[in-house]
Amino acid sequence: MGHAGIKTVILLSFVLAVGFLMIILSCALWSNWLPLLVALIFVLAPLPNAVFAHCGGDDFTTDYEGSGPVDLGRFLTATVVVTGFALPLVLAHSEVIRPGACAMSIIGGGLVYGTIIAYSAAFKQEESDYE
Amino acid sequence: MSLPRSNYDPRRVCLAPFPSWSLGKHKRTMGIYLAGGLFALANWTFLDAAILSAHAHAPYDDPQIPPPVHVSFVDWVPGISSLLGLLIINLIDKDRVRGDEGFGDARAVWRARLILFIGFALMAGGLAGSVTVLVLKYVLKEYAEQYQYYGYANVSQNVALMLSAVVLWISQSVSGEYEYNLSI
Repeated sequence: MGHAGIKTVILLSFVLAVGFLMIILSCALWSNWLPLLVALIFVLAPLPNAVFAHCGGDDFTTDYEGSGPVDLGRFLTATVVVTGFALPLVLAHSEVIRPGACAMSIIGGGLVYGTIIAYSAAFKQEESDYE
Repeated sequence: MSLPRSNYDPRRVCLAPFPSWSLGKHKRTMGIYLAGGLFALANWTFLDAAILSAHAHAPYDDPQIPPPVHVSFVDWVPGISSLLGLLIINLIDKDRVRGDEGFGDARAVWRARLILFIGFALMAGGLAGSVTVLVLKYVLKEYAEQYQYYGYANVSQNVALMLSAVVLWISQSVSGEYEYNLSI
């Protein structure tokens, strides 16, 4: 997708806004602002991958054998993503938040994280050109 | 680094070189993501029980009886042990454990295997301890299903932590073909 244009950007930003809307609604409708943590977690989820991605050495070593820091970044990213999905479920299970708020914050968090993944996948080509 | 040696090593029994590097790399990434997910799932399973216990209340129709049991520090011990074991196992250099001569001296291999053994012992101890807590604290006293869930969550936390360690180990040694054949 080298020519992912302005339409992709608009679509992704729209989906991102819908995701944040879902999360904020899930907090505001029941006036319990704990699900806002889900937004924070999903925004922070790609951060370990991004931080550790360039620790993997040069292009010659990362081709066929992954390195420790890259693995650590992937491990932490997966951990944070599962945390983002598990936190509303746990809160709803112990009746801190309502099940409706749980479902809405999970959907919203999924939309936010999906937007981040789709954005980095759609614009990966142009990023690697600049490096 | 050890690939050409292992091809004619007469001690190796199951040996079939893994054909494609790109598939191996993909498997490695997926495995590490899976291990991270399992790790978070394990800890959240137990944290769910802990939070549920902290917010436990009497049944709505009979508000006089307080909950008979809570998650206390005893329940946290097996998880902490498994966590330490996971850390220790993954801090070991895997090429050193494999014990190829010429890589390091023999004492380093011996020490690496000892530390690896301690790590696995910690994980197994965590699993056994969680089963012990489940039986002694919850099952034998015949609490309601709602409270026995704490013990089962503890066991599943430790099982998932052990699975996470196994998946991480296998996926990190995909590039060495020996462990890959063990995993299949």
